[in-house]
Amino acid sequence: MRSIWAVATNTIRQALRMKVALIFTILLLVLLPVMALSMPGDGTVKGRLQTFVSYGLSLTSLLLCLLTIVVSIYTLTNDIKQKQIFTVLTKPVRRFQLLLGKLLGVILLDVVLLVIFSAIIYTITIYTPKLLNAGEEELISLDNEFFTARASLTPPKIDVTQEVLETYNKLKETNQLLPGSSKADDIYVLTLRKELEKRAVPVGRELIWQFQNVKPLDPNQSLFIRFKYDVSVSPADLNIYSRWVIGDDRQIKYGTEMKTPIYTFDRKDFIRTFHEIEVPADAVAEDDYLAVGFFNPPLNNTVVIFPPDDGLEVLYKADSFTANFIKAALLILLRLIFLACLGILAASFLSFPVAILFCLMIFLTGTISGFVLESFDVMSKGLTGFYYYTIRPIVQLLPQFDKFNPTKFLVPARLLSWLLLAKVAGLMVCVKAIVLLLLALLIFTYREVAKVII
Amino acid sequence: MEYAVETFSLTKIFPDWWGREKVCAVDDLNLQVRYNEVFGLLGPNGSGKTTTLKLLLNLLYPTNGKALVLGGDSSDPQISARIGFMPEESYLYRYLNARETLDFYGRIFGLPAKVRKTRTEALLDMVGLKAVANRPVGTFSKGMARRIGLAQALINDPDLLILDEPTTGLDPIGTRQIKDLILELAKRGKTVLLCSHLLADVEDVCDRIAILYGGRIQSEGKVRELLQQTHKTQITTASISDTAIEKIKQIVQDENSDCVITSPMDKLETFFIKTVASAREQARPTSGVVSDGTYISDFLTAEHAEKSRRAEILDKLVSASLSPQAPPEPPATEQPTPVETYEPKPDEQLLEKLTRKPEPPKPKPVVKPQPVESEAARQQQNKNSILDQLTDRSTPQSHQTDQPDKSRTGGTSDA
Repeated sequence: MRSIWAVATNTIRQALRMKVALIFTILLLVLLPVMALSMPGDGTVKGRLQTFVSYGLSLTSLLLCLLTIVVSIYTLTNDIKQKQIFTVLTKPVRRFQLLLGKLLGVILLDVVLLVIFSAIIYTITIYTPKLLNAGEEELISLDNEFFTARASLTPPKIDVTQEVLETYNKLKETNQLLPGSSKADDIYVLTLRKELEKRAVPVGRELIWQFQNVKPLDPNQSLFIRFKYDVSVSPADLNIYSRWVIGDDRQIKYGTEMKTPIYTFDRKDFIRTFHEIEVPADAVAEDDYLAVGFFNPPLNNTVVIFPPDDGLEVLYKADSFTANFIKAALLILLRLIFLACLGILAASFLSFPVAILFCLMIFLTGTISGFVLESFDVMSKGLTGFYYYTIRPIVQLLPQFDKFNPTKFLVPARLLSWLLLAKVAGLMVCVKAIVLLLLALLIFTYREVAKVII
Repeated sequence: MEYAVETFSLTKIFPDWWGREKVCAVDDLNLQVRYNEVFGLLGPNGSGKTTTLKLLLNLLYPTNGKALVLGGDSSDPQISARIGFMPEESYLYRYLNARETLDFYGRIFGLPAKVRKTRTEALLDMVGLKAVANRPVGTFSKGMARRIGLAQALINDPDLLILDEPTTGLDPIGTRQIKDLILELAKRGKTVLLCSHLLADVEDVCDRIAILYGGRIQSEGKVRELLQQTHKTQITTASISDTAIEKIKQIVQDENSDCVITSPMDKLETFFIKTVASAREQARPTSGVVSDGTYISDFLTAEHAEKSRRAEILDKLVSASLSPQAPPEPPATEQPTPVETYEPKPDEQLLEKLTRKPEPPKPKPVVKPQPVESEAARQQQNKNSILDQLTDRSTPQSHQTDQPDKSRTGGTSDA
């Protein structure tokens, strides 16, 4: 253990004194404040903060990723190339201890730098409203919509397969199916239609969503119903009138004693843009139940449709901005740990430039992993067996940086749950990074370090 | 455990990219190095000396055969904790300074901080780099880097010292110091395996040698036996009168033989060291001037060196009195007390001798052998005290390494 620590501190010294880390550090120290001053966003204080946090964290993440790749590769390949490894490995250090020491050094360096830069971004973010002399109203809206961590609940997707099958059979019996179309196609069309039905509200009708597990941090705060309308026929003024009823609807249904209030809102909103209704959090029942009802008054004269995925959400404050920010930083750290392992692996058998190229390629692929994975899946539809056992595992080993992008959570003030963090840690570090590291240890143990490879 | 180093038909073949055998660097090598001997591996360039050492140290893996070092595999931490290795060039972390370098290697051995500190300082003193201990080693000249390389090989007080071309890049004084050090270590029961093609060095220090060519041992044996001319006799005396010479010639002629009588020549090395030493004596009055010429003096004035030396010695003394030193070892018969160890005078002279510019080597008319003698003696004493310090500092670590040491000296006497 002591030798691992000796190697780790030496690695940190190397990164600091060879000025690799210095360049990145200076770059960030200059860029972050400049960004804070020069990015107005959409003109509001909130927009400004969102832009700064988004760009600041992305830049920090990007530069630290590059730094991790460079340092982890440099520290090992340089030792081998300049042969300092001769004097180290002939001392009582096992080869795995050397690699672990290097890895530990890189990760510690990352932790320190990440803490510094996160602290800078955090401080700038917190003090910007004061510096800009934001008004009272703006401050409240910031508190509700930016300096918070809101959990989001979307209505559960209703399973329509049974209904679709019934309808299909009925149509088949009565011979109403289109001639010449296959069963799969019919089912597909019917499913789409049914799903749309579940999200559509005809004139004079109402739609009720029921949510379980609504757990606001504090009942004195507010819930937010975030929604967007689509319509079948656009109204002349592009506005939709509506009545929203929010609370525990079971009290009305079963006529029990009113324990929690039920709130009613009459509104008029633009179509196709997001709106939020603020509701006091005491509307939530004791067993964390909440119902949201929407009534489409005859005045509208059109069917109102809530788009899939983000058509309607219940948002509530589940954690503080600070906690969310720390979790976002941890998300970046997980990414860096993965890259450090990747760098060590590359350096265990490649020379410096080749290893850098290799890691950059993986890194860039990781940042567009959604696209890559999707295209692989589409392209491989024909080649089942071979693809399944060869290319797929390698593709699966790719990191998915874009899927867990921290700014995706901080900008809309979405809660980044510990569960998600643990999931990322488990997959990206405990599985993928460990596999890379074991591979590196294996290769390095059997490598003749004194052998010259041309 | 009969041999410190033993190889069994050790073979190393470097294949080319396609896996075809290309170079056979070491070929069926059976090497035996006994405990407590200085063994020299000789051979022309490319004869497989360094490859053999790398195989011993697991930096390369043998194609065939096996190598035992101290009775085991050298990658085993238990074994490698007892080995000191100096590679053919000093591969150092350029961004560390001399002190940090030694400290780093000490930490790899898991030495406690206090032991690390004493050993680092003592070793820096011994290799004459104390005054430049805070400069990054990347700025060192080749000779200075070699000295650090030697110091790092000694940081764990090794039982087996493996030296790859130990004297390349060193000036004659440094060479002499390394040779003296090897002899001194051998006297203390260490085993030294060195490889070199500088025959003079090997001849001076080695007990036994093996000459390699094409990866095979061509000749092996004790230096004395290999080189002794048994059909000749040499008599060395102080200078004697002509009549006495005539008498001796007569006696030899009576034996039906012939003889040549000359004054013996000094070795160039001895002469060089004498000259540098006397130049140092001469230059004493102008000690304030920044001198150049020798490699260390480029960035060092004697005055600065002296000041920092004094400060350090004081620091050391203070810390020594504050912290109870290691309990006195049983065999501490000749060990000087700590105060004597840090007596500034010999250190200073050793250092100054290294740093002083040698006056253009014109032979001085007044070469006084007396001061040179005493100088050498003092230097020797100083070095011994440092070695004592290195080897006898009792620590849990050194206890561990000492244990097999003692048991095997018994073993060797049996053999």
